[in-house]
Amino acid sequence: MADVAQPVGILQQMRLIAGLRWRMLHNNLRRKQNRLDLLGLIIVGLLAGAFVTVLCFALFEGARNFVTSGRPAWLSLFFWGIFLWWQLFPIIVAGFGVSFDFRGLLRFPLSFGAFYMLGLAYGLGDFTGLAAFCWTISIIAGAAAANLALLPAMLLVAVLFVLFNIALERLLGSWMERLLTRRRYREFFFAGFILVMVSLQLLGPLLSRYGNSAEPWLVRALPYTVYFPASLAGKSVGAASAGNYGEFALAAAGIAGYAVFFGALLWLRFTAQYRGEELSETRAPEKAGRNKARRESDADPLGLLSPQVAAVIRKEIRYLLRNGFAALLLLLPPILVFALITQATLFRFSGAKGGISTELFFPGLVAYIILILMAPAYNSFAYESAGVQTYFTAPLQFRNVFLGKNLVQVALVATELALCIAAFCYRVGMPSTPIFAATLAAIVFALIGQLSLANWSSLSFPRKLVFGQVHGQRQSGMAVLVAFGAQIMLFGISSLVLGLGRWTGDRWLPAKAFVLLAAAAVGGYVASLDALTSYAEKNKEKLIEALCR
Amino acid sequence: MTDLAIVTEKLTRRFGALTAVDNVDLRVAAGQFFGFLGPNGAGKSTTIKMLTGLLAPTSGLMQLLGLDFSSNTMEVKRQIGVVPEGMGLFERLTGAEYLHFVGRMYGLDHATTLRRTEELLEFMQLADRPKSMIADYSHGMQKKLALAAAVIHGPRILFLDEPFEGVDALAAGALKALLGRMTARGVTIFLTSHVLEIVERLCSHVGIIHQGRLVAQGSIDELRAGIAGEQGCKTTLEQIFLSIVGQSGAERAQIEELSWLT
Repeated sequence: MADVAQPVGILQQMRLIAGLRWRMLHNNLRRKQNRLDLLGLIIVGLLAGAFVTVLCFALFEGARNFVTSGRPAWLSLFFWGIFLWWQLFPIIVAGFGVSFDFRGLLRFPLSFGAFYMLGLAYGLGDFTGLAAFCWTISIIAGAAAANLALLPAMLLVAVLFVLFNIALERLLGSWMERLLTRRRYREFFFAGFILVMVSLQLLGPLLSRYGNSAEPWLVRALPYTVYFPASLAGKSVGAASAGNYGEFALAAAGIAGYAVFFGALLWLRFTAQYRGEELSETRAPEKAGRNKARRESDADPLGLLSPQVAAVIRKEIRYLLRNGFAALLLLLPPILVFALITQATLFRFSGAKGGISTELFFPGLVAYIILILMAPAYNSFAYESAGVQTYFTAPLQFRNVFLGKNLVQVALVATELALCIAAFCYRVGMPSTPIFAATLAAIVFALIGQLSLANWSSLSFPRKLVFGQVHGQRQSGMAVLVAFGAQIMLFGISSLVLGLGRWTGDRWLPAKAFVLLAAAAVGGYVASLDALTSYAEKNKEKLIEALCR
Repeated sequence: MTDLAIVTEKLTRRFGALTAVDNVDLRVAAGQFFGFLGPNGAGKSTTIKMLTGLLAPTSGLMQLLGLDFSSNTMEVKRQIGVVPEGMGLFERLTGAEYLHFVGRMYGLDHATTLRRTEELLEFMQLADRPKSMIADYSHGMQKKLALAAAVIHGPRILFLDEPFEGVDALAAGALKALLGRMTARGVTIFLTSHVLEIVERLCSHVGIIHQGRLVAQGSIDELRAGIAGEQGCKTTLEQIFLSIVGQSGAERAQIEELSWLT
């Protein structure tokens, strides 16, 4: 008979899991690809760290100022900021965060206590949580620097506030994950997300139009916010500062109540997960022959292209239409452009003092759309998975794969640009002909110029992404860096050319320069296809391994 | 002399210090149903990957249908079909869409691809779920689809990495019949499987690879004669296999030491 394993304590289990994560990181670094990826992540992390650090100083100074000026209750503003960041940012960037699915550990005899604690610990382990934690510490430090006697009260409030935020964030994240495993819910979520994004962009125009009449309502609603944790945190610090310990205790108990309440709800969620909640997307089998699929037409609409290029184009379009997250990325730019135009039309255009110049706004708008829509091209095999092997077993030159993918990419960007330019010209008006012509030539330059680099990046830094999944997806750090670098370079050149036109007073100079640059970019792209075909053959093992893993 | 469909000479593949395939000299005649056997990690999949263009050899030569692979890559790929390890499917296409995609990748015209897609889906009993994406297929259905994709262009050599794994008995019977008819028409089939009974029933010839080296090659009868000829008894392929790559004394001793388990 087999021996019975002795129960392992929570701390021991957490130590083992931390060791496992460290071992995984250590082993991953044996590969050059992963080392480069880590390097990319470190650079991106440094930029993010700079952002967090700057805000830390600002919050430190702000907190010190509020306390020294006798307004400690105003710290509520900071707590509200942190609260909103902590709860909303993970949802907004859900597509870019990476997560370790700790539920995979359930196959081991992991106690529920350890599972729960791990779940909470992971709430502090991502960028959002770490940043919020640092900012909370900065507020404490700022308040303590102003009045050291406030430190114990601040520490208590901060601990409760952090616990509440972790519990709520994990709860929301857990429910999001559960909901988003179903395609229908995902679509609802994406629709809601788009509406929220649009609403945020329209907030400015709405406020300027209805702000005055809405103000009394807002003023009347403000006192009710005092019952929310962020306000309670500020209130408790204010009470402690005034020596009103009864009110302090009441406010702190309020935050603790919230933390316990959401902690209990999280307990229930994790209990369901611990018991083996099924999050599969797999649907029940269809009834046999219920709906015959639409048979493809005998006439091939892509007949002018080579069979391989046509096949890749068809596949790319189908994948795009079935991938909610990718589709969302496509829908966002025109919606945001529409919102931007709506906002911008509130200002006077063209030459008015202090107004916005269409001559700058138009190329800026185009650059923004290209910036967003070209990002996925830098990891264009992300959703191929094991299917990528077909490209190497079939008798085709890899240039055909890139041609197919790039044609779809160019068609998409061109369509979206055409829509946005039409919307811009309708709502705002045409820019001058030289700028319009220069922008069109610059589009070709920026688009085609990026494609060669994006194709190279896709082969060099492939990263598998799970189809249709929002949470826990992360591009390769190096691919992100290459994309940043390429876009900074191309838009830098474009800005320089536009600037030269203004400086020399030759209004047609940018158009002429961009036509030359566009021709060079097209030539470079065509020349790169053969080089990339050879490179794909050399790099196929890395590509297949990264995508079939 | 029989035409050789697959020839390798000193085929070697190293991964750093590990030699996964070590100087393998394979000879597979055209129209042969060839079983490629070996324990886990012996180098079977690495060999198939090299023979199908998914992996570059470190050294050695590969000739398929008389053509050198490295200098006639496109021509060779046109004439082979593959069910690779992990099947290599685009899971977010439907079965019909995937077959159409593969047919076009092999250069078939649009109308031919459509016709063959329908026929293959019917044959593989996959036609009744036209709207299902491959991701929603069972493992066995995915295997059948991968096999359909491997034959859509009418290859002259078919490489199958564990083709019957997860396929139900009914479908497996139909597939075996199909593969049998293909070899009768001169198609060479190169198959790996862990189920030795299947290999014994289907294959006329086998090669056995162990720790990267080809340790035996020939018809099953030749191998049988080599192992048990003197005893004159009818040995099974499993017995042949175990006698060639079976547990060494040290491995058996280790198993006996797991007294806490056994």
